[in-house]
Amino acid sequence: MVSILGVGLGVASLLVVQTVMNGFGEEHRLRIRESFGDCVIVGQRPLEQPEKLLQTLRADSAVSSATSYAEGPALLRQGDYSAVAAVRGIEVGDLHQPARNYVVLGAFDDLDDGRVILGLGLARQLRVRVGDHVELWSPAMAERAEKGKAPLPADFEVCAILRTGFTEVDDRAALIPLRRFQALWNLGPRAHGLILRLKDPAKAPDTADRLSIGRSGLRFVPWQELKKNFLEAIRFEKTMLFFLMFIITLVASFSIGSTLFSAVIRRTREVGVLVAMGAQRWQIIALFGLQGWLIGALGILLGFILTWLILFFREGILGAINHTFGDGDMVANIYQFSKVPLHYDAHDFIIAAAFTLLVTTLAGLVPALWAARRKPSEAMRDV
Amino acid sequence: MSKLVLQARQLTKVFSSPSGPLEVLRGVDLEVAAGVSVSIRGASGSGKTTLLQLLGGLDVPDRGKVEVLDGDVMVSPARRLGKAQGFVFQNYQLMPELNALENVALAAKIAGKSDAQARQAAEELLQQVGLAERRTHLPAKLSGGECQRVALARALVNQPALLLADEPTGNLDERTAEEVMQLLLSLVAARGLALVLVTHSVEFASRTQQRYVLSGGVLVPA
Ligand SMILES: Nc1ncnc2c1ncn2[C@@H]1O[C@H](COP(=O)(O)OP(=O)(O)OP(=O)(O)O)[C@@H](O)[C@H]1O
Ligand SMILES: [Mg+2]
Repeated sequence: MVSILGVGLGVASLLVVQTVMNGFGEEHRLRIRESFGDCVIVGQRPLEQPEKLLQTLRADSAVSSATSYAEGPALLRQGDYSAVAAVRGIEVGDLHQPARNYVVLGAFDDLDDGRVILGLGLARQLRVRVGDHVELWSPAMAERAEKGKAPLPADFEVCAILRTGFTEVDDRAALIPLRRFQALWNLGPRAHGLILRLKDPAKAPDTADRLSIGRSGLRFVPWQELKKNFLEAIRFEKTMLFFLMFIITLVASFSIGSTLFSAVIRRTREVGVLVAMGAQRWQIIALFGLQGWLIGALGILLGFILTWLILFFREGILGAINHTFGDGDMVANIYQFSKVPLHYDAHDFIIAAAFTLLVTTLAGLVPALWAARRKPSEAMRDV
Repeated sequence: MSKLVLQARQLTKVFSSPSGPLEVLRGVDLEVAAGVSVSIRGASGSGKTTLLQLLGGLDVPDRGKVEVLDGDVMVSPARRLGKAQGFVFQNYQLMPELNALENVALAAKIAGKSDAQARQAAEELLQQVGLAERRTHLPAKLSGGECQRVALARALVNQPALLLADEPTGNLDERTAEEVMQLLLSLVAARGLALVLVTHSVEFASRTQQRYVLSGGVLVPA
């Protein structure tokens, strides 16, 4: 019974960690794609005819939507507070616009020529809320200003605030309509780049390669490349965690193994009696191997149930932990996820189950082999 | 002379001990004919258990040979344990997690009987040793005499031609010992079994047909 519980706990701890880590990984990947797009297209110089390129790309079977953008730094001011913002001109009304799912206050669709969407950090620096106004100076405005006169700022009302979880976005981003950007930066009809949403985001690198053929002046950057360091850090984290969990499982399996082992050793005398009564070696070995297998199988089942229970009540459990240690809402603060994300990977479950079954069966078999090979006369002398 | 069921020739067994090799058996010869009871006495540590284990095939001699016979045919080692021969151990050696009935049935199952057959055979044997109404008790809930009767039922459940018993009454008080011994001898007689009985008791030994004493590593007729 205790050994079944032991196996169950080992399996559950491995699977809970793997599933939550997968959840974080998936969530991060999704966030990257939703914040930056599946594929970004940039050139050596601004795109002269973004509309034409957009149309041909939209016609491509792998592309689900395409939008153009322009970007540049600007000075923002509200009262006595000012900040440098990375301003981005975006196509208003595009439903596939990156970052639109991360609006925390206000409404994305309120964006129009007189309004701006700010990153949360930037809004804090400027001490503005939705409905407040900010002034904006672009570099182009300084050129246009008459000699000796300070350039007049453009006025925007803050219509929404977004939080993607990427600090460099949240602390600096200001979104305005592309039309307005083109006017304020003297771009004319040109854009700095395009953003694609793809039907199969996982194949973004292949699609990017294919689309770039014959378009030598442009660089197609799949999302996997956009935040390469970040993704690699996640992957590294997952590998390290898997490694650690593997060791933990190994330790757990070993303790399970030794429990079973000593259970069989304690039965050496009985094994001797069985042999004396004419039981064949294979019968004894099968008996104990089966016992180990059964403990493993039941333990795995228990582990699956425990995993599901723990993950089902994860918010409550985490809340209790936060409450006890007084760290505040860790997940929300560091990872900026409102819920602990999950991603069940059948692969993890199969590996954990197979490995556990192997260890428990061996843990029953090995000592049984040993006990069955002893002469019954000696085995029965042990008390 | 009637047919032999057990024949041992020149059995030698040496154990290594910290104070050098210990020659427990130095050439034991023994022949047991069908239906004949044999007793072996000897001082503690003289090697009685060792000899019985060699006779029962639970250990191998360093020299010499043991054959269990069925007519003139040698019984293969695989058929011998539990089938051609029953064994009653010095300390009962029952399975603690199994009740009386299951302990007896286990031996029948190992011998290849189906669950139902084994159960039926076990019920019969428990009846014969007078434990029918205690069949669902675990060994821990049984007295020493009752445990030994279960062990006796287990040794006989596969209808062997030969019973080997190692001090079956060694751990019992006088009255219980007498009861168990009477039961054992009557069952052996009723079934026409050959018996090799190891005992300390001159009294019990006197009820067997051939009597030996193990001393100095050899069997001496008494
Ligand atoms: N496996 C073994 N290794 C070493 N010595 C052993 C082993 N088995 C038995 N002996 C020794 O052999 C001798 C005979 O042991 P055995 O158990 O056969 O005696 P016994 O006549 O049955 O004694 P008792 O009447 O006390 O049961 C003893 O001295 C014992 O210590
Ligand atoms: Mg003895």
